Amino acid sequence: MSDRAEFLASIRHRTQAGRYKPTNAPDVAWTGESGEGGPIGDPPARFIEELEALGGHGKRVEDREEAREYVLELARKREAKLLIRWDADELEALGVDEPLSDAGIEVTVWRELADFKEVAGKADIGLSTAAWAIAETGTLVLEGGPGMGRSVTLLPPTYVAVVPVGRILRTVPEAIGKYAGDVGSLPANVCFHTGPSRSGDIEMALFVGMHGPGDVHVILVG
Amino acid sequence: METEKPARRRETKDRRAEGLPSGVEGFNDRARRAVADEELHDSIELFTRKSVAGRNAVLDALPEAPELRERAYRIKQETMAHLDRHLQQMADAVEARGGNVFFAADGEDVVRYIGDLARSKGARVITKSKSMATEEIELNRRLEEDYADLGLEIVETDLGEWIAQLAGDTPSHIVGPILHMNRKRITEVLSQTAGEDLPPDVEALGSFARKRLREKFLTADIGITGANFGVAASGTVVTVTNEGNARLVTSVPPVHVVVMGIEKLVPRFEDLSVFVKLLARSGTGQELTVYTNFITGPRQTGELDGAEEFHLVLMDNGRSKLLGTDFEEALYCIRCGACLNVCPVYRQTGGHAYGSTYSGPIGAVITPLLKGHDEAKDLPHASSLCGACWEACPVGIPLHDLLLKLRNQQVEAGLAGKAQEIAFKGFESTMKRPLLYNISSKAGRLAQKPLEKNGSMRPLPGPLSGWTDSREMPPLAEKSFRELWKEGV
Amino acid sequence: MRVALFVPCYVDLIYPEVGVSVVRLLRKLGVEVGYPEGQTCCGQPAFNSGFFDEARAVGRHFLDVFEKERFDYVVCPSGSCTTMVSHYYPFIFKDLPEERERSEGLAGRVREFSDFLVNVMGAGDLGAHLEGKAVFHCGCHQRRELGVLEEPRDLLAHVGGLDLVEWENEELCCGFGGTFAVKMPDVSTAMADEKVKALEESGADTLISCDSSCLMHLEGRLRRTGHDTRVLHLAQVLDDGKAG
Repeated sequence: MSDRAEFLASIRHRTQAGRYKPTNAPDVAWTGESGEGGPIGDPPARFIEELEALGGHGKRVEDREEAREYVLELARKREAKLLIRWDADELEALGVDEPLSDAGIEVTVWRELADFKEVAGKADIGLSTAAWAIAETGTLVLEGGPGMGRSVTLLPPTYVAVVPVGRILRTVPEAIGKYAGDVGSLPANVCFHTGPSRSGDIEMALFVGMHGPGDVHVILVG
Repeated sequence: METEKPARRRETKDRRAEGLPSGVEGFNDRARRAVADEELHDSIELFTRKSVAGRNAVLDALPEAPELRERAYRIKQETMAHLDRHLQQMADAVEARGGNVFFAADGEDVVRYIGDLARSKGARVITKSKSMATEEIELNRRLEEDYADLGLEIVETDLGEWIAQLAGDTPSHIVGPILHMNRKRITEVLSQTAGEDLPPDVEALGSFARKRLREKFLTADIGITGANFGVAASGTVVTVTNEGNARLVTSVPPVHVVVMGIEKLVPRFEDLSVFVKLLARSGTGQELTVYTNFITGPRQTGELDGAEEFHLVLMDNGRSKLLGTDFEEALYCIRCGACLNVCPVYRQTGGHAYGSTYSGPIGAVITPLLKGHDEAKDLPHASSLCGACWEACPVGIPLHDLLLKLRNQQVEAGLAGKAQEIAFKGFESTMKRPLLYNISSKAGRLAQKPLEKNGSMRPLPGPLSGWTDSREMPPLAEKSFRELWKEGV
Repeated sequence: MRVALFVPCYVDLIYPEVGVSVVRLLRKLGVEVGYPEGQTCCGQPAFNSGFFDEARAVGRHFLDVFEKERFDYVVCPSGSCTTMVSHYYPFIFKDLPEERERSEGLAGRVREFSDFLVNVMGAGDLGAHLEGKAVFHCGCHQRRELGVLEEPRDLLAHVGGLDLVEWENEELCCGFGGTFAVKMPDVSTAMADEKVKALEESGADTLISCDSSCLMHLEGRLRRTGHDTRVLHLAQVLDDGKAG
């Protein structure tokens, strides 16, 4: 707390020099009197609440089996022909490849693709995990890297992420903090992905699924 | 499939082909037309009202908002104090990652760099995500003209920017580029591109756009983005969108070029937690936009997508002139658009009336600063100095005070015009001599007698006609307060 | 309690009745009221047009006038003129140490009228009565530089017979802006129309403000568009609605 007080005091010292006068007006738009922010008691629940408020679909399941069922059900409902997924051990262990195949749905894994644009562009569903999730905003933190194609989360119209609850962080600053400590090892790409892609450019009317997926699902496992 | 420019229509101007209109003495004329346009007024009112309501609600729910604002100001202040150092750091960090860095003094440098790059790559299709910096230097037009032999197809991918591009129009708001276009017009433009009549509903129009732009995304040779922020310590470039177009532009083509104004830097990665919390809230009323994308150099070994070549173009174009001056604060802007949304002048005129890439309060401030007063004489006066912009600014830039200082700059430079100079010299003389003041007011009362009718003034000549054309003007009172006081109040 | 009255030039010349009401109300509260006679104007018109030297010259005269006698406070029935002195005098005299010190000394003691009544005199119910349905317009300087938003409403709440209602876009500038009103008349008028529309929708028959400049502009547009809305400064309302 004293750090904060010192910090703000040094700002005030500067403001007396006249360079910046904080407004004296009771700045209704800036004071958080009626905040519902508050401490985040149940991160998984808050995550799902935020995601669904944005039109995404969130579900908490107990184990891998339930998660697999969700994915299979989703593929059936969407009448998917092709699912593309990250090349990740936990997705391997999820065990959706065989059942999907049996159901006549092709599964491509993001590895050694001759033309990723071709495949990811044709896929109906993209499946990935996430490095972290942010409860405050319903956000997935997606890292790029070998096996973790950005296009998997971006090109197909339906996107589903399977994330262990242990990876849920409370706030955006916490998530940023995960990378701030060692910027030398930042992946070439990190994306904070929050809900379905959208545009309001046509008379402010909402259009979902503008360039990225409009149908977004996050399964929290554990 | 070529995207053709539509034939010139009578009622719309091909602003892109004409280049940016000059702001000299044009504001009033354009404003007069804009103010009379009821449809435009309704569009602006809808957009600004929703944006402001969203912003107020989401900031209200954030108890630390005032503190974030002070910290944002301080971080930017610190950045500008040592901008050269931070720029060097940024360049080093990007190069350490295998990226390329180019320092561009002005728009010409940027065009040259990108054009030569396109030539060396044999590029044909370029996809762009929204970048006000590239609008500022008219990148698209100049690339098409100066490198015509390359036959470049430069496609805007933000839905609003693409529609504006197809219509030969320019954006009128930083965040909602086509808020001035109604659904009918948009349907016209997209139908023309589609080669068939599209129904005027958002689903059909949006779906067409998605399909058509997807083709471009996947065939692009080069992707160009702007940057909402650049992190000096890590060499990271941050893009913030809802559509996902920036992520597509940076993930699919083999080459990614970022055009970033030098003032967009912040020193440390953790500084982002202040700005990322403020940008979406102030601009669109969202806690976060759908895609907040952090790009650090080209793709890593083993990645199949992401750019193989990364180019960071750091553009000055007049910004460094402001460092260490009274106007430095104008560089703290994070281009959220909140000042446009709350500005009562913008609300009546829309963005095009400002005649510049940047409109609203921030536009009125930086256009004369970046382009010189001759280019934008009217803009510092296009404000009633209400201060709503300052109140709304997430970084606390005192835009209204900067406008005042710009007016002063004009006066000092002799740009105010003889009539005003005489008028205010007279004002000074009168107001510092009580005797003269009293005499003038008595004379005024006499003089107004023939001009007064039924407790109001008749139409007055000269500059005052601006008042009496649309408003009643009260006469000077029979007795001034001073006189009443003397008589005994 | 001795106060010096700072009467804006347009109140002096066009709306002297506002000044008269102010004096009556202050005396009602037992305040001794002085009126430094050499006063003319705060200099804001020159300042707003960028003529800082001229504004400084007028400001110097203002400082001379209001320093002649020692008063507890300087009270001004205008948010924008109060702001000119309390906020912008230190600004224009920033590089002139002597004047800056003088202006900073004065700045602390210059108070807008409703601010003075509520926060210095603790005034609440002044026994005023005025029948009607009213909206309150807070001038931009008063709102954003002075932060005196609630005080006028607190005072109006005690006025018997007066129904103070909310109106749309109440935080929007009226469009006066000093010389802006004649330099950019189309936009200025359009801004006024926005407020007129909100007033119509509110059903109010009375418009009240602490800034006569805003009122002059809005009344000008109201009359031109055929409205017979009653337009009063806060001081007049608290003085039982005396129109002068």
